[in-house]
Amino acid sequence: MSTQVSTPAKRPTGEILFALVFVSVGAAGLLTAGSIPIPPSETGIGPRAFPYIVCTMLVLVGSGIVAQVFRGKVGQAEESEDLDVNAKTDWLALAKLAGFVVLHIFLIEPAGWPVAAAVLFSGAAWTLEAKPLWKAVIISVVLALVLQYVFGGLLGVSLPPGPLLEGVPFFNG
Amino acid sequence: MLLEGFSTALQPVYLLYALGGVFVGTAVGVLPGIGPAMTVALLMPITYALDPAAALIVFAGIYYGGMYGGSTTSILLNTPGESSSIVTALEGNKMAKAGRGAAALATAAIGSFVAGTIATVLLTFLAPVVAELAVGLGPVDYVALMIVAFLTVGALLGASVLRGLASLGLGLFIGMIGIDDSTAQQRFTFDNPTLVDGVDMVLVAVGLFALGEALYVASKLRHGPVEVIPVSKGKNAWLSKEDWKRSWKPWLRGTFIGFPIGTVPAGGADVSTFLSYAAERKLAKGQNKAQFGKGAIEGVAGPEAANNAAAAGVLVPLLTLGIPTTATAAMMLTAFQRYQIQPGPLLFENQGALVWTLIASLYVGNLMLLVLNLPLVGLWVKILQIPRPYLYAGILVFAALGAFSVNFAAADVGILLVVGILGYFMRRYGYPVAPLVVAMILGPMFEVQLRRSLQLSQNDPTALFSSPFAVVVYVSMALIFVGSWWLRRRQAALEAAPVKDELSV
Repeated sequence: MSTQVSTPAKRPTGEILFALVFVSVGAAGLLTAGSIPIPPSETGIGPRAFPYIVCTMLVLVGSGIVAQVFRGKVGQAEESEDLDVNAKTDWLALAKLAGFVVLHIFLIEPAGWPVAAAVLFSGAAWTLEAKPLWKAVIISVVLALVLQYVFGGLLGVSLPPGPLLEGVPFFNG
Repeated sequence: MLLEGFSTALQPVYLLYALGGVFVGTAVGVLPGIGPAMTVALLMPITYALDPAAALIVFAGIYYGGMYGGSTTSILLNTPGESSSIVTALEGNKMAKAGRGAAALATAAIGSFVAGTIATVLLTFLAPVVAELAVGLGPVDYVALMIVAFLTVGALLGASVLRGLASLGLGLFIGMIGIDDSTAQQRFTFDNPTLVDGVDMVLVAVGLFALGEALYVASKLRHGPVEVIPVSKGKNAWLSKEDWKRSWKPWLRGTFIGFPIGTVPAGGADVSTFLSYAAERKLAKGQNKAQFGKGAIEGVAGPEAANNAAAAGVLVPLLTLGIPTTATAAMMLTAFQRYQIQPGPLLFENQGALVWTLIASLYVGNLMLLVLNLPLVGLWVKILQIPRPYLYAGILVFAALGAFSVNFAAADVGILLVVGILGYFMRRYGYPVAPLVVAMILGPMFEVQLRRSLQLSQNDPTALFSSPFAVVVYVSMALIFVGSWWLRRRQAALEAAPVKDELSV
């Protein structure tokens, strides 16, 4: 914590952009808050006051962070057990993971939850370099079926079993 | 009343639920990178189909189990990183490396049990009293209490105050999306039908904690084998007479440091573990003192007890006022609300049976934690060794499951992904995520009370200082801030100290 990792010159750009996200959410809120309808019976400060306060706060705090970053006070990236602090950010892995979540979303309805879950698991394991891959695929299928059985069958959480498992009673609860 | 709670909680089926809750809670809590808040968020779908009493019992187990699981991780894993368990890691990790891992785990488990039980007794007596007082509180008083909760959560957590406040502000903003509680007008919905009901708390919490963490770790994954410190078996590994002698006082001190800190909104468990550590370090004498930084058992026993006592303390404002003061408490509140249980002063009157069942199951869960954990250390070690690709792939699947089962809508998993990406960048740039979660819950409640107080006084802002209770709260808030500023300086000094020691050797 106390050791300041020397940051490459590239990093503050991303940080400033992220701080600007807060500023722009606040600004967008300030612009649209005026169109929140106020019922005629309202006698208090109404439904607009709180949005104005919060959005102003976002704009101010976000700008404050931008100013801090410009003065060289960058944020401390969070630490975690499995993290190699000195590793370079693997953007490709991030993109792949996000892609598999999107794929999962589009598979749930047509293919059923177990298929979508197995695809997500094997995709993520592949992205994170699980070896050998066939083992990850087997684990994903077993895990998906167990979860479908426990949640869909035993706990009564209605996960769509999909066309493949439609007829199997204990996956449907 | 408590006896009635016990008669429910001790039914065989419910005992089984408690056992399951503690077991699953600990198992998930042991997983590296998963804190108690994330454990509760991830495990919420498990309870969706249970009746309210069973769900509460399971949650009591998950709550304590998740708290305890984190300490196992920090003692046994070679690379402690989570700041919430950094104090336990300080001595516990050193003990494990010296072959005293079993003793460290034992003092943590027994300390957690002792502290948890005493704190639950205190909760049993304190909560009804506070609830009775709280019935007399008006909107003005609630405004004061919630301002304290906001500021402490936003400003105390994390290294950068501005980033904490930014996280808080974003949480308030997300909390406003949907229908205004007071006037039923739509706000920030942009005529999008999925936004009219607001953004679901579970989506935000699972997205920020689980998905955000998984993405963050994936971006910089430490490859290669996982190093878990082996737990030595045998006679010498267990707590010796000497260890008991050195542990029992820190357990008790930790309890009485942790519980009060948990009950006031002052940063929750983290602060209490640090305070307990500092106290033990100061009180140790002679040889024991020299051991600090090299694996002193007091440095595990005290903070672990404080951590659990604070966890029980947090339930006092949560149950009696309906105010969550930590991210974990915010998750518990979300879980309660799913079962139409509204914590607050009237909870003990309206749903007395359920509350007492919950409190009784806290006692039961605590005992089970002790019974389960000591024999199962071997299993936790196995869990710690799960290859990381599988672990994080599993977290992704579970997060997606949790998000989907909120409304059984695939679009919700999309919202989860957006929040997860937000969580990734917040971690990357050092924004604490807990204030966002707490603000999202507290924000709408705060707005309702603020507008009610202003309406009652015909928009006279000085009315906010009209009640003596509120004034007392504001004054103590000022004092807390001065105190916390002092604490932070001490904490910074403490964190710097071991590093300096190592450098000078």
